[in-house]
Amino acid sequence: MNHKELIATMATKMNAPRSAVSDLLDTAVKILNEQLVEEKTIGFQSFGNFEVRKKEERLSVHPSTHVRTLIPPKLVVSFKQSNILKDKFKDIPHHE
Amino acid sequence: MNKEKISLQEVADLFASKASISKRAAEEFLKVLFLSVEEALLAGELVKIKNFGTFKLQWNEPRKSVNIQTGEEIILAGYYKVNFIPDVLLKDMVNEPYAHLQPVDLDAGLPEIADEEKSEVPLDPFRVFDEQASEIKNLISEIQAIRPVVVKEPVKEDIPPIAKGIEHVEFKTEKEPVIREQPKAETISAPKPEPKPEPVSKTVSASGFDYAPIAKKNNKQPGKKRNNWFWILAVVIVIILINVGLYLFYPPVNKWTNSTVVTCIHSVSDIKDKVVSWFTVNPKPASYIETVVIPKDSMDSDSLNVEKPVDSLQILFDTPRIYPEFIATVRIKRGSRLTLISKKYYGNKDFWVYIYEANEKHIPNPDDIPKGTLIRVPKIDPRLIDASNPRCIRKARELHDLYVK
Repeated sequence: MNHKELIATMATKMNAPRSAVSDLLDTAVKILNEQLVEEKTIGFQSFGNFEVRKKEERLSVHPSTHVRTLIPPKLVVSFKQSNILKDKFKDIPHHE
Repeated sequence: MNKEKISLQEVADLFASKASISKRAAEEFLKVLFLSVEEALLAGELVKIKNFGTFKLQWNEPRKSVNIQTGEEIILAGYYKVNFIPDVLLKDMVNEPYAHLQPVDLDAGLPEIADEEKSEVPLDPFRVFDEQASEIKNLISEIQAIRPVVVKEPVKEDIPPIAKGIEHVEFKTEKEPVIREQPKAETISAPKPEPKPEPVSKTVSASGFDYAPIAKKNNKQPGKKRNNWFWILAVVIVIILINVGLYLFYPPVNKWTNSTVVTCIHSVSDIKDKVVSWFTVNPKPASYIETVVIPKDSMDSDSLNVEKPVDSLQILFDTPRIYPEFIATVRIKRGSRLTLISKKYYGNKDFWVYIYEANEKHIPNPDDIPKGTLIRVPKIDPRLIDASNPRCIRKARELHDLYVK
């Protein structure tokens, strides 16, 4: 499901025009991004936590050339699903 | 790092004020959003939200574990995990404080330094030659003092390349000061027929003097044999020096006109080229040779070419910088760095010092600038911030060391 399809499903659920939903979604994403940039954790009880984590700098060695490279630290967004969400997926049968 | 946690309600409040809708509607919207994502995930789809990221399900296999208390083996059931991959935009936004950091190749670090010093490589041969020349001079003076054994032709043939090389070095290094120190003296003396450039005459007269005693020595019977190679080598050098001196200056001793001087310079510069090609391991001494070849044409242009740019740049460095004009104004926010601003406007992060200089009044500490500070990016003479010129970089680094204690 891509962005457009998501907007479409949301529009039908909310009985709102797509353009309005699209604008609102953009704003919502913008706010979420801003909060994450400020390194705040966003928690949605029924869904999960968005969190910014710092990956410390590390030394990586290329396995074949043995070139050592210092990887600088970085900040990444991580998401951890809530238990409520995890339980919901228990019902999905697993194939393979 | 402030690990502040905000809930759905707080996000909804922000959202409501930003999108100018009621809080209830905002909360509703967010709930619908995540419900839709959830449903799509339940349906086995991945969900992509523009500028935010992608949600998808990932199956985690069941795995064995051990109950810590009883030590009995248990099996953890497999489960689906929601995997969130942040969009490139969000990733970059979040990582902005560290965005300027690049992975550093530690093993390639040494060659990199060598690259930086490459600009100085052309000067190195000079230094080496100078050292060698002074050594040789010492040797010669000692030889003259001791009057050692003279070596015959075969020996000379044995080691011509080395001897030649050193002899050329001798010439070159003696020639060098002429070009650098006394361009005027030479140009003045040029029109006159009789006077000749100082060092040249020195070498000539020196070799002339050398010649007499050594010629005598030649006639003399070699008294005590020393098997010291060093002496032999040095003597061979002296002999070759004399030969060259004779070859160059013997016939027209009385009329040393411009032409002889020029031919001398020619040969000397040719020799320099050769010497350079022998001694430099560096595969591209092109820049060096260029600067050396120039003197062939005229000494004046040489002195201009070599000294003028250097001096003007030096003057530029030394004059106190004033910043009357500004090309941009930047407001410091989280993650802003003077180096980043410098990289953006000047193309190299080392030139941040000039921005700092222009804004010194507002910045108590260049490492810690308060948020919201207005930084004015000054307009700087492009020669001063020439990223391809190592001197500019060096100057900026000096300033850097000055400001960052």
